[in-house]
Amino acid sequence: MMTPRRRLPAFARTTAFRLTLLSAGLFALSSFVILALVWASAVVPAMRRADTAIDQEVAVIEAIYAREGTQGANRYVIQRSAGGGAQFHYMLSDPEGRFITRTLTHLPAVAHDEQGRVRFSYFREAIAEGAPGPESRAVRGRMVQLPGGHTLFVGLDVEDEARFVAGMINAVILASGLALALGVVSGAVVSRRFARRLADINAAARKVMAGRLDARAPRNHSEDDLDELSGNFNAMLDRVEHLMQRMRSAGDSIAHDLRLPLTRMRGRLEAALVEEGGIEAREAALAQAISDSEELLKTFNAVLSLTRLQAGERRRAFETLDPAEILADVAEMYEPVCEEAGLEFGSEIQPGLKVTGDRELLAQAVANLLDNAVKYTPEGGAVVLRLRKTRDGATEVSVTDTGPGIPPEDRARVLERFVRLEESRSLPGVGLGLSLVQAIAEVHGARLTLDEGPGSVSGGGAGLRIAITLPRPK
Amino acid sequence: MRVLIMEDDKTVATFMARGLKEAGHVCDLAHDGEEGLEMGRDGSYDVLVVDRMMPRRDGLSVIETLRSDGDKTPILILSALGEVDDRVDGLKSGADDYLVKPYAFAELLARVEVLARRRDPGAVQTKLSVGDLEMDLLARTVKRDGEEIVLQPREFRLLEFLMRHSGQVVTRTMLLEKVWDYHFDPQTNVIDVHISRLRAKIDKPFGLSMLHTVRGAGYRLQA
Repeated sequence: MMTPRRRLPAFARTTAFRLTLLSAGLFALSSFVILALVWASAVVPAMRRADTAIDQEVAVIEAIYAREGTQGANRYVIQRSAGGGAQFHYMLSDPEGRFITRTLTHLPAVAHDEQGRVRFSYFREAIAEGAPGPESRAVRGRMVQLPGGHTLFVGLDVEDEARFVAGMINAVILASGLALALGVVSGAVVSRRFARRLADINAAARKVMAGRLDARAPRNHSEDDLDELSGNFNAMLDRVEHLMQRMRSAGDSIAHDLRLPLTRMRGRLEAALVEEGGIEAREAALAQAISDSEELLKTFNAVLSLTRLQAGERRRAFETLDPAEILADVAEMYEPVCEEAGLEFGSEIQPGLKVTGDRELLAQAVANLLDNAVKYTPEGGAVVLRLRKTRDGATEVSVTDTGPGIPPEDRARVLERFVRLEESRSLPGVGLGLSLVQAIAEVHGARLTLDEGPGSVSGGGAGLRIAITLPRPK
Repeated sequence: MRVLIMEDDKTVATFMARGLKEAGHVCDLAHDGEEGLEMGRDGSYDVLVVDRMMPRRDGLSVIETLRSDGDKTPILILSALGEVDDRVDGLKSGADDYLVKPYAFAELLARVEVLARRRDPGAVQTKLSVGDLEMDLLARTVKRDGEEIVLQPREFRLLEFLMRHSGQVVTRTMLLEKVWDYHFDPQTNVIDVHISRLRAKIDKPFGLSMLHTVRGAGYRLQA
């Protein structure tokens, strides 16, 4: 028979409540363990002491019986029970089962073990005026067969010990029950608080999911774990929002940068279609359109690799490399380019360094820096590529030129996508070179620094020194 | 030569086929992986052009199947994925060359022609010659008209690649990939500069130029 599971109240479904309940349960369990320990260390020895006392008393009576016979034993028993000092109970019966002396009216029909030990309770009449009675008294005792056929029972009243034990058990049960109940109540209270705070965080998450990216989880600045969770949650949202903004602005920039050449290309093609310029003019227009579309593709590819880089997809292909090899390669590639542009090219490459990274990406970064240097440095200037180990063990790759340089206030801005300073608008390029270098530096955990160059050599400008500082490989 | 194009986009495929036909080649089209595999197994093609993402069976699987059947037809794989890992995957599957979409048709044509006339890799050549230009791969010397030309190591490799593909158009990207082993796109005309340097050494002193610029495509070394 299946009954649908009833939903527990909200507070009972919270982690805090379950944890409180669990700890209350554990507390109750430990109470029982304590009880068992007390039993083993106090109750068991007490019972053993009682048994020993009984054994000693039995031995005394057996000795008297052996020496003086039934009469002697009987006398001793009567003396002892009349004395009232000892709590012993006696019963002495003849071989036919008739009682000779007894302090209890009868022996309850309880089984005894092979040593003759028995345990039972009996009702005792009120001993004195005003005393409560009849009351149940617990007795431990031993039944022995005497050599003459007589039966001897010696018992000890252990009611006080039994009461102590029963009281203790009750106390422990009560305490554990109370702990459990308190646990449930405090769990409910605590978890309600906890649940409320979690609900706040969940509410913020739901708002974000519903499209309100500016929603944030409330913080109470108590620095506790929930507050930390809220803090991290908010920091994560900040990051997401930042990335979204960046994506949106990148999208806008792409749209902006692609729209213009696309429009131009379209215009050119349309004009070629209606103009009467003949085959040659048309061919020229087509060739121009193709080269326009190539520029577009380049922009597109650069944006794509930038996006992928920023997503960190390439990091898993990292290996330990000697940067000198990469730089020598790129230097060899650019030296004639500089020469063609009327620039002096120099390279100072320190061999034997190690970096962790991607060969192709590092080469691309250096190539981009050299591209820029060649593009912006006027004829007669110089470009220097350097690789060296810094004092703190990092590897620094730098490209220095004697071009116009970048004013300090623009240095952060040129690293952004599509940013091109006014002065360079007329030069070819899409304004992604430095952002690509920046992104490559980022995936390598490297720092990109822009500085002034060596000052004017050919009367151009301050010059520019861009350095990529790669961390020491781990 | 006979080219089989496996490409699910009909416009792109038709465009490619028309271009290849204009260049004097015979073209067949397959519009999905299964059809392509069936036609490719025919074995009568000189080059296969395989789109990486196709319905019914993707390009990598087509190539792997053909290669495991022992088919050695040169294969050019086309893909919209241009990252290093994707390229490595493509070449690992057994493709001979990798071209990232979108590409210029001249690039595709040049690569297809280079693949089709790929020389038997089993035959080790120690000497290359184009017209009166001679290259000794062991001694690492270059002579034109019997006169020795001194080249830098990179210039040597550049010329070697051009000579191995003499008469064919090689693109800037191909040179960047095969001679420099880079897959990014330098913004300046790095390759042009190196070509003009090489030209100054192998052509200029000899009057008759062998290293030609092919507009909108690349370069061609021809006697």
